[in-house]
Amino acid sequence: MHKNLMTYFPALFLLIVFALWVKSVAIQSSWQGAGLINFSSAFVLLAAYLSGHILRLAQIPLVSACIFTGIIAGPYISGFLTSDMVGQLRLIDDLALSFIALTAGGELHLQSLRKRGAAIALNIVLITLAVFALVFAFVVFAGKEFQLIQNLSPAQTISLGILLGVVAVARSPSSAIAIISECRASGPFTETVLGVTIVMDVLIIILFTLALTVTRLILAGAGGISQYTFVVLFAELATSLLLGALIGKGVSFYIDRVGYDLSLFLLFIAFGITKTSLWLSHFTEEHFDIYLHLEPLLICMSAGFTVQNFSKKGFEFMESLDRIALPIYVLFFSLAGASLNLEALRMCWPLALSLVLIRAIGIFTGSWLAGTLHRDPALHNRNAWMGYLTQAGVAIGLAQLAQRQFPEIGEHLNTVVLAVISVNQIIGPVTFKTVLNKVGEAGKR
Amino acid sequence: MRYTEFMKIFFGLLLILFLAFSGYHLTFRRFRLPLFARRFYLTGIEFLFLGILLGPQFLNIVDEDTRRGLEPLTALLLGWTGLLFGFQFEMARLRRFAFEFLSAAIMEGAIAFVWNFLGIYCALSLFFSLTGLMKIMLATTLASVAACTAQTGLALLPRDSVTRHRDTLKLLTCISNINGLIPLLTFGVAFLFSPRFLITTNIGRDIMGGFGLVLLYTLFLTRHRKESELILIVIGMAVLTSGTASVLHFSPLFANFFVGCCIVNLSNEKDRIFNILISVEKPVYLLILVFLGVNCHFSIDLASALMLGSVCFCLWRSLGKIFGGFAISHLSRELKRYPHRLGFGLLDMGGLSLAILLDFHHGFLYEMTSHIIGMILMAVVFNNLTSYYFLRQLLNSSLKQQSTMP
Repeated sequence: MHKNLMTYFPALFLLIVFALWVKSVAIQSSWQGAGLINFSSAFVLLAAYLSGHILRLAQIPLVSACIFTGIIAGPYISGFLTSDMVGQLRLIDDLALSFIALTAGGELHLQSLRKRGAAIALNIVLITLAVFALVFAFVVFAGKEFQLIQNLSPAQTISLGILLGVVAVARSPSSAIAIISECRASGPFTETVLGVTIVMDVLIIILFTLALTVTRLILAGAGGISQYTFVVLFAELATSLLLGALIGKGVSFYIDRVGYDLSLFLLFIAFGITKTSLWLSHFTEEHFDIYLHLEPLLICMSAGFTVQNFSKKGFEFMESLDRIALPIYVLFFSLAGASLNLEALRMCWPLALSLVLIRAIGIFTGSWLAGTLHRDPALHNRNAWMGYLTQAGVAIGLAQLAQRQFPEIGEHLNTVVLAVISVNQIIGPVTFKTVLNKVGEAGKR
Repeated sequence: MRYTEFMKIFFGLLLILFLAFSGYHLTFRRFRLPLFARRFYLTGIEFLFLGILLGPQFLNIVDEDTRRGLEPLTALLLGWTGLLFGFQFEMARLRRFAFEFLSAAIMEGAIAFVWNFLGIYCALSLFFSLTGLMKIMLATTLASVAACTAQTGLALLPRDSVTRHRDTLKLLTCISNINGLIPLLTFGVAFLFSPRFLITTNIGRDIMGGFGLVLLYTLFLTRHRKESELILIVIGMAVLTSGTASVLHFSPLFANFFVGCCIVNLSNEKDRIFNILISVEKPVYLLILVFLGVNCHFSIDLASALMLGSVCFCLWRSLGKIFGGFAISHLSRELKRYPHRLGFGLLDMGGLSLAILLDFHHGFLYEMTSHIIGMILMAVVFNNLTSYYFLRQLLNSSLKQQSTMP
């Protein structure tokens, strides 16, 4: 290990010196500009990989090392990656997320889900209730102590509480999968955490739509809960799942009958799903006045789940994804780090830290109760909360959606959510790795 | 419904049918297709059409924003091809080839390059009003594209034919592996003298950058890595080198070739890296075709001119290759044993030619480059569809030559 460090440190040093040198070259053409984006993305990839190895000494997981690297390279610290660059690399980000969703689906084994179904359901219900109740109560009753919420009317404070409560329930399947993959973890605890995280990712969309409707009622004071909204929502979810299943069947057919260039094929599938679902939403809205939002992540998860559970090609599928997973995880999480809004954290860090703490207490209460009711080992019950802290993209997306719909409270919501996610995304992977080691499921694969 | 929307849906349907047919072929590829159809598929020409369909002229799925977002992927493709070509130049491996073979390969590439350069330069001088430097740059690029050879035809030969013509095929393989050296070197140097970059180019700085990169990668590769880590390093290497090259006004393809040459001779991990590079050679080639398809532009007004241009390019290139083959078969007594029509077996255009074209397009975003790409791609299609016939002719003549030898 120390011998390896002797090469990691000089390599990182040389990489940084080289990057500073390239960065000092005057950019005078679009060709150079594009080159600088390529250089920066590769620099982040290699620097995050080296940092991951160096920080491993301190038991810090690769995901966190990548996020740290992203933060340092990002617009708020060194400015090596500007906001524009991060925006331009968004497509790679989307592509990586689709890949990760394919892996998430593939990681879910129907047999284990059946076995752990009760534990997963209990965890989902109890964690959702506990987190929502505690965060909502905190915002409504203690929110006035914080500058950001002080000037809001009671109705606006309640609405903010509802929306923050629901967003607090959201988690990050991508981080969870990356940590499980890095630790090569396997076992009932891992399966439960993964199952809860992935199922929650689907349920959060329904919960959030419900929260938006209730917020609209509170803020506008008129109208009622529209059945149409829920019919469309369920149609979207059902269509996404069905489409994913069909694509999954197609993928397994491809593996069965063709079998080669699978990584390229999966790249094509992930890209196709992301672009087509965006295009379809736009198309149906423009031509038929129907906003049909197919969720690319859900489609990919469903496709991965179908290949894993309804074909004999699950092993080849996962092996092929595994082979290219490391660069994708490293790049994705480094860009996620660079996108973290440190300005928002600086603005409202007391409120953000309080919410992080309240959320953690909610998760602890819910998971401990669920584990106890299910008679899981006490060690699992005491530590399960550490596996549910990570938060990322979905929560940001939900906050931005709410901001568009309720501009009067949206800005506050967005700022707080970004700050909370920044903290959770930094500490979440570390706690998850720690708990996997504690329950003895790391390295069992 | 607006016309453009209708067209998008129509081509979407076409794309699905096309993919279904491709899938069908891949699925049932053990069934013997006619040779024409087999060549069509095995040279990956279908991916060129896929790129054209996905591009702005038809479906616009890969629009300007998407193309910009996919810049790192393009850089990766160019870097990958450059690294792979650089890995052909491992000294220990090159020493295993006879000296005649090596000199024949380099000579063939140089002759074909000069032949094509002169022809294209004259054509550009006669028909286009370009500046002197631009003419040289364009002629160098197109001559480099024309001078490189692929091994597609050799891969298609039946097993008995491979056994019967082992020696000739060994020479052809050696030539097609190495003959891109002179064209790529010239292209790389010409890139530096592009009219766009000339003012800010600093050769000393570029060379220093190249050596800095090699030192950095050597540090990365000093220890044994897991395969997934090595994949990450290779991807990082290719994109970092491409990015550095672009910032310093250098050709990404050439810079990666240089890095590949150094790594293959310095690193203990060379075999594992080569295996990673070669494992996705075909997908990389196919993606380059897709990207070129996306970037090329076919205008109805210029269709006949482009068609004529591509036929002329194809014919001139074939003549250059045939002449090059003839010349090297007279280089030494050893090489006189081989058929004089050696150039017939060197007509295929492959990954390196296309990568040069893609590199050129990224470095020289003038309006005419997309037309030039369209023209050259048509030439690639003609060339790859006819080259197998010429290869068979060569092998038949080689049999006759063997039977008449004392």
